Amino acid sequence: MRSTDTAGTRRESKSWSARSIGSRWQHRFFYSLIRLAGRRAAYVMAVFIALYYVLFRPSVRARSRPYLSRRFPGRNALLRLWDSFRITVEIGKVLVDRAALGILGPGQLTVRHSRREDLLERIREGRGLILVTAHAGCWQFAMENLRQLETRVSLLLLREEGDVDLHIFEHRGDDAAFRIIDPAGPLGGALEMLQVLKHGEVLCIMGDRAMGGDRSTVEVEFLGGRVRVPVMPYQLGSATGAPVVVIFPYNSGPGSYSLQVEKVIRVPEDMGRDPEAYRLHAEAFIRALEGFVEDRPYQFFNFFDMWSREPMR
Amino acid sequence: MTTVEKLKKILVEDLNLEGLTPGDIDENAPLFGEGLGLDSLDAVELIVIVQKRFGIEIQNLDEGKAAFQSVHTLASYIEGRLSNG
Repeated sequence: MRSTDTAGTRRESKSWSARSIGSRWQHRFFYSLIRLAGRRAAYVMAVFIALYYVLFRPSVRARSRPYLSRRFPGRNALLRLWDSFRITVEIGKVLVDRAALGILGPGQLTVRHSRREDLLERIREGRGLILVTAHAGCWQFAMENLRQLETRVSLLLLREEGDVDLHIFEHRGDDAAFRIIDPAGPLGGALEMLQVLKHGEVLCIMGDRAMGGDRSTVEVEFLGGRVRVPVMPYQLGSATGAPVVVIFPYNSGPGSYSLQVEKVIRVPEDMGRDPEAYRLHAEAFIRALEGFVEDRPYQFFNFFDMWSREPMR
Repeated sequence: MTTVEKLKKILVEDLNLEGLTPGDIDENAPLFGEGLGLDSLDAVELIVIVQKRFGIEIQNLDEGKAAFQSVHTLASYIEGRLSNG
């Protein structure tokens, strides 16, 4: 079965899904636990649940295998199991923190913001700011924190129908926390994205998840294999003059997060439509991501097989 | 050259539509999706081109979405805006 949305993003049957692996009642159980017993109790529960998933749900191990087998090549079966457990625990903690932030409020967590002044300086240029991040750490927490940048933050985000995993603002009923732009909407959200930048605001895009086919991506080397990454952030930078900032949020301790500004990419103006024109910029991002996963291997949560030839979503 | 013809030329030359000539483009076919198959990168480029070549900035999102349905609707939108000064 295949259909096409208004911007040409293919929706097709696939082996991968962005939906949470947990059921609705499991999510509700965790939300109640956080409300009644706090974040730390939910952490402990998350460790046991991660152990259960890794031991008895092969599909959970399979989701992280493409990344872990490239990050840790040559591991034996026991170490592979350990790696899978570690990354499952880490994402469990992040999901707990995310829910805690939404349910209990921002006082639950602390954040260290590297080069915050640098970001503010870029925003004051008045040409908007494009943040390129990855499925690393708690990116939603990063979004929350970016509200301190004194301007509105919009995020290009494709939501899977029927996903039971709530976003921070959905816990709070606060839909103004940051604005979601749907890449499957009219014109792929292009009008909205350009308006965000025109108004000097912040636009955040995942640089490690390509939506669409070969015409909107370039193939680059990542962890010893070829992956396709989107060029949209760099094309927008070229079209508007907005600086592109690579930023990775990560868990730096219990209840503590850091926003690491990796690099600022300036894309020359009027580079046009050809994705190949942005190869160098996409490579700069992927080298930064490689450095991130080298330092924090269990905080990269892109459970899509980036190295397969299936179109990424 | 009419606005429709100009737009068809822009689509082929600036959006790198491989294997297409301006004459191949049906002006009533949807620009995105099953019609011409443009994607979000094309959309960004097209919006910027309309601004630079025709001096038209799209302020209203709904208006813009309606305008970018097809070559015909876009041409009508551009001509309408230009005639209104």
